[in-house]
Amino acid sequence: MTTTMDRSRLWDVSSRVIVYAAIGAALYGVLGFLINVPIPGSNNVSVRPAFALVPFFGWAFGPIAGLFTGLVGNALLDQLSGYGGLTAWNWSIANGLVGLLAGLFVATPMATVLGNKIIGAAVIGVLATIIGLLFVFTDIVVFGNSFQAALTGSYGFVVVPDVIAAAILVPILAAAWEPLKASLGR
Amino acid sequence: MVVTPRYLGRGSWLARRDPRVPILVGVMAALGVIQVWDARIVAVLLALAIAYYGTARIPWGSVRRQWAFALTFVSLLVVLNTILTTGEISGLDPTTFHTLFTLPLIGTKVSSESLSYAATQMLRFVTFIAVGFPLAYAIAPADLGVALARLGIPGKFAFGVDLTWRFMPSLAADLQETVDAQRVRGYDWDRGGGPIARLRRSVPLVVPLTMNAIVGAEDTIDAMDLRGFGTAKRTWFRHLAFDRADRLVLLATFVLFVTITVLGFSGNAKLFVFPFLLPS
Repeated sequence: MTTTMDRSRLWDVSSRVIVYAAIGAALYGVLGFLINVPIPGSNNVSVRPAFALVPFFGWAFGPIAGLFTGLVGNALLDQLSGYGGLTAWNWSIANGLVGLLAGLFVATPMATVLGNKIIGAAVIGVLATIIGLLFVFTDIVVFGNSFQAALTGSYGFVVVPDVIAAAILVPILAAAWEPLKASLGR
Repeated sequence: MVVTPRYLGRGSWLARRDPRVPILVGVMAALGVIQVWDARIVAVLLALAIAYYGTARIPWGSVRRQWAFALTFVSLLVVLNTILTTGEISGLDPTTFHTLFTLPLIGTKVSSESLSYAATQMLRFVTFIAVGFPLAYAIAPADLGVALARLGIPGKFAFGVDLTWRFMPSLAADLQETVDAQRVRGYDWDRGGGPIARLRRSVPLVVPLTMNAIVGAEDTIDAMDLRGFGTAKRTWFRHLAFDRADRLVLLATFVLFVTITVLGFSGNAKLFVFPFLLPS
């Protein structure tokens, strides 16, 4: 197993990157719209399995694909639910940052943890989620929320379920992708 | 399973506009409204946003649930914000507030100022949504890619957005097929259990759907490579041109945006406390 992604290819915008990015965004929109797991006792908070696709696409196909998957996928999800793709534009950027960071972390020693690339994918997924979603604190400026509301009502509400989704699903997706990647000659 | 963007405003005045118009209006509205905390100005913006929404002629019955969801969600946010701030408002001195009552148990002081702030926040949210809905329902999905490209977004990114829209119906169909195939094997999504158990139960759907989509994408990549994708500046079949009405809408929105910005920077758009909330 290679430990890190080739740094010189991180920012390539080839047809492959564009198509995988579009697939990631469409999957995020479709799965996010149809499958979510409400957390009992919470205010309209759900664990969205589809969120794990954002760090996964960043990890597997690079920062551009990750950025696009999160940014466009979240806007698409908001469009599908009728909220309007630009209404919570800062949340779409936050999602995009998660994918971007996951793609960037692959080029660091973090890519392999305990000699295992799959554990590395899980760590990258969780870290990218925790850091990337910090951007939702812009709710303070965009929506006029207080810091406390942004911390507990925005960041806290979204980061816990999304970290759970990333921690469980990113390594599973990565484990499924690794042999497939080899068979596709990639 | 229908998971395609619904073009509900088809044929309306707004849908006949150049697709760049609702995008630019949405961007200017998003950047303009966040500068205003005076409920009187926000109310004017909301009235304009509702008039703008009306031009999209989106059938009420088709979006009733979306409005209910959006209003419930923002109401929760506003209430939560008011409670969590314990009645304080950023940039204002809480000692000057007119406390009306204190919430039992949590001790949040509810004042004329915090109620006015909450009401203004709600009005701002509804303005966002009124401008956001036409973006979702009054732009032909096929026009989005070319509109973004003509707005200066890099061509490859714009093409990616176009491609995303085109992938959605087939991926939704694939998801339905995957659900059916897993059900034949005894899969039951609604079997109950906690969030973690249900999350784990999403694996038989998410993993095969994702891997099939990635493998299936190879054909699209080959087709694009064979046609020389990315080797030259991309052109689009759909030609876009602003007409007189488009220019007028954009000019009016821009003037409004500049006015709001001037009001905001000159300190004339600060929080307005409703007089009827002030203790006599």
